[in-house]
Amino acid sequence: MTLYEGEKGSTLLVLRMALPVQTERRLEVLGMLEGTRIVVVNRKKRGAMIVKIRGTRFAMGQSITRHIEVKEV
Amino acid sequence: MNTKELTIGFVGNPNCGKTTLFNAYTGANLKVANWPGVTVEKKEGAMRLHDETYRLVDLPGTYSLTSYTMEEMVTRQYILSDDVDVIVDVADASALERNLYLTLQLMELGKPVVLALNMMDIVQERGMEIDLHRLPEMLGIPCVPVSARKKTGLEILIHTVAHHQDKAQGEKIIHHHDLEKSQHEGVEEHHKRYAMVYSDEIEDKIDEIGERLLKKYPEETNENLRWYAIKILENDQEIKERFSLDFSDILDKDYEKEIINQKFGFIEEVIAECVANRTKKVESTDRTDRILTHPVLGLPIFLLIMACVFFLTFTVGDWLKGYFEVALEWVTETTTQGLFAMGVGEMLISLITDGILAGVGGILTFLPNIFILFLALAFLEDSGYMARVAYVMDGIMGRIGLSGRAFLPMLLGFGCTVPAVMASRVLENRRDRMKTILITPFMSCSARLPIYVLFSELFFGDKAMIAAFSMYVLGLVLAILAAFVLRILDKSEEGDMLLIELPEYKTPNAHTIRIYVWEKVKDYLSKAGTTIFVASIVMWLIMNLGLHGFTTDMNQSFGAIIGKVLVPVFAPIGLGYWQIVLALISGIAAKEVVVSSCSVLFGIGNVTTQAGMANLSELLGQMGFGPLNAYALMVFCLLYVPCMAAVATIKKETESWRLTGIMAVFQLVIAWVMAFLIFQIGSLMR
Repeated sequence: MTLYEGEKGSTLLVLRMALPVQTERRLEVLGMLEGTRIVVVNRKKRGAMIVKIRGTRFAMGQSITRHIEVKEV
Repeated sequence: MNTKELTIGFVGNPNCGKTTLFNAYTGANLKVANWPGVTVEKKEGAMRLHDETYRLVDLPGTYSLTSYTMEEMVTRQYILSDDVDVIVDVADASALERNLYLTLQLMELGKPVVLALNMMDIVQERGMEIDLHRLPEMLGIPCVPVSARKKTGLEILIHTVAHHQDKAQGEKIIHHHDLEKSQHEGVEEHHKRYAMVYSDEIEDKIDEIGERLLKKYPEETNENLRWYAIKILENDQEIKERFSLDFSDILDKDYEKEIINQKFGFIEEVIAECVANRTKKVESTDRTDRILTHPVLGLPIFLLIMACVFFLTFTVGDWLKGYFEVALEWVTETTTQGLFAMGVGEMLISLITDGILAGVGGILTFLPNIFILFLALAFLEDSGYMARVAYVMDGIMGRIGLSGRAFLPMLLGFGCTVPAVMASRVLENRRDRMKTILITPFMSCSARLPIYVLFSELFFGDKAMIAAFSMYVLGLVLAILAAFVLRILDKSEEGDMLLIELPEYKTPNAHTIRIYVWEKVKDYLSKAGTTIFVASIVMWLIMNLGLHGFTTDMNQSFGAIIGKVLVPVFAPIGLGYWQIVLALISGIAAKEVVVSSCSVLFGIGNVTTQAGMANLSELLGQMGFGPLNAYALMVFCLLYVPCMAAVATIKKETESWRLTGIMAVFQLVIAWVMAFLIFQIGSLMR
């Protein structure tokens, strides 16, 4: 499944990212790596979501979340 | 006594409280400028402690030292320069895991680093514990707990900096548990010298690159050899270009990702050993966010907050503005009388009162509105709410091809175009930034309000409010339409990716807010003292000079000549009167000048009073200028080139005269076309 489909309150494991290298690097630098556990704090029905990575919240648009493959844990 | 002043560079992640810490040391006593060649702000201050002077430089907030954004480039270039003696890495101790990544990068630079663990008060509040003995052991750098808000630990931090200035990094504890397995040559030595030791494969590569660098560039790379080698291994374009060596045989795959991974691997080790009780309490931020970023309620709440901001700006601001106007009137009168008594020539008196005081003073009367607006914005910003707006607005903005972040500058545009255009800096993508800058001037700024008020009251009677309000709606609609058209024209899909940190909510800090607002007010005052000052003199000159020198008959002035030349252009939009044309031209200095120019041009003293209005209305009526002309005028004023200060800001932010020119022409064309449509269609319907 993709991060975009993640439900509010769920803890997810990042499997793979298929984004432009620059965006991927930006996410990695924030600590979002393949194998990192993240939490979906809040989300809109369709669109952006708030994700907690290593204790910090980030708002992410669907253009990013649709390209991140995750798995529920 | 040591006479050499020590330069301390403050580096840290965004939202780590770095600015608050910096302000706690320097107060309002700081120099704000731009870094050479870029629009990134540079703040510098000084402080004294025990007879020593320290120079403090606040670097832009950044998550890493790659070369992807302007902020990162500026930061690392400055740190690498000889200018900085010690780096203070400010970290949010309550989010140490994320902050340590930058710390590890800074340590690799080879300069003395001191880690300031900021927000220790919050750490304690949450019942978290940080092992302050083990942390410096593992990192090999001093770690000083501070709280910028509570002002604790400040002196100790500077002491540590002073004592640490010449020291290379201390001896480190061996942290890699699988050391025995390592085959890398000199691995023991590595672990003594560097906190962050990579896998054998990467260490081998670093050594190999380092050897080549040292051979060809012994001087340049002497100090930071390891850092340069790591950057080259990360395939950093800027560093690679600096050395004309071929590393393609070593860079056989993408090592950057692996390096980031291993850094976070080490960070996890550090966190596991040094931080206890990490997620004990349910954080209050999550509770607040449940309401403020609610999927349904988020938007109405935001609109309500903004309504409050505007209500305060206009009611309280206008109330204070009244006093400023009275004061200005008094100053003008006194000056006139004083100058007259001193026997100063009529021409000079006219220049000072009609030119400078009317122009500069008129702008100064808007200071209360500006002050209140920025005070409110400072509150929203410092409390942590501002970033949430980007999230709340993301869906709506997405439809016009912009990310939620682009909404912040547009919002500010209702106040004043200048700070709004500057606020577009928050957008990382240049194309989005240009797009936002292009549509922001359509948001009707507060300077245009006097024009609407005057002309709608003159011509629309009890429907005046509706006429004035329709301008705001029209501006907003055109902004959205323009963005939409640009989206269709612009084929490239990528860009507007929303990615923004949502900081913890906190009580706004009075000190931070004071400095923020004071900076904006200072900007505004200096604008009045420079741009508007010059513009006022120029306006006065072209209205009082003619082909035969100084003239009191405005009909003979250069202004009238220019106005008359342009009349044919403005006739089709119902504005073919040289006085109106001239007033519009003068409005480029500042939009509110359109109103004051009208009063000067039509020779009416107090144009905003009942009698003055009746007078102007009659004069205009005689010229054949009716309600339709007035509406066309309002539309034209809403849309045509923003004031000079805004254009100058656009030039500064876009760094391109060409783009600035295109935008100005685009706005003129739109204004003309819209006014043309309204005037012509209106004429047909009559």
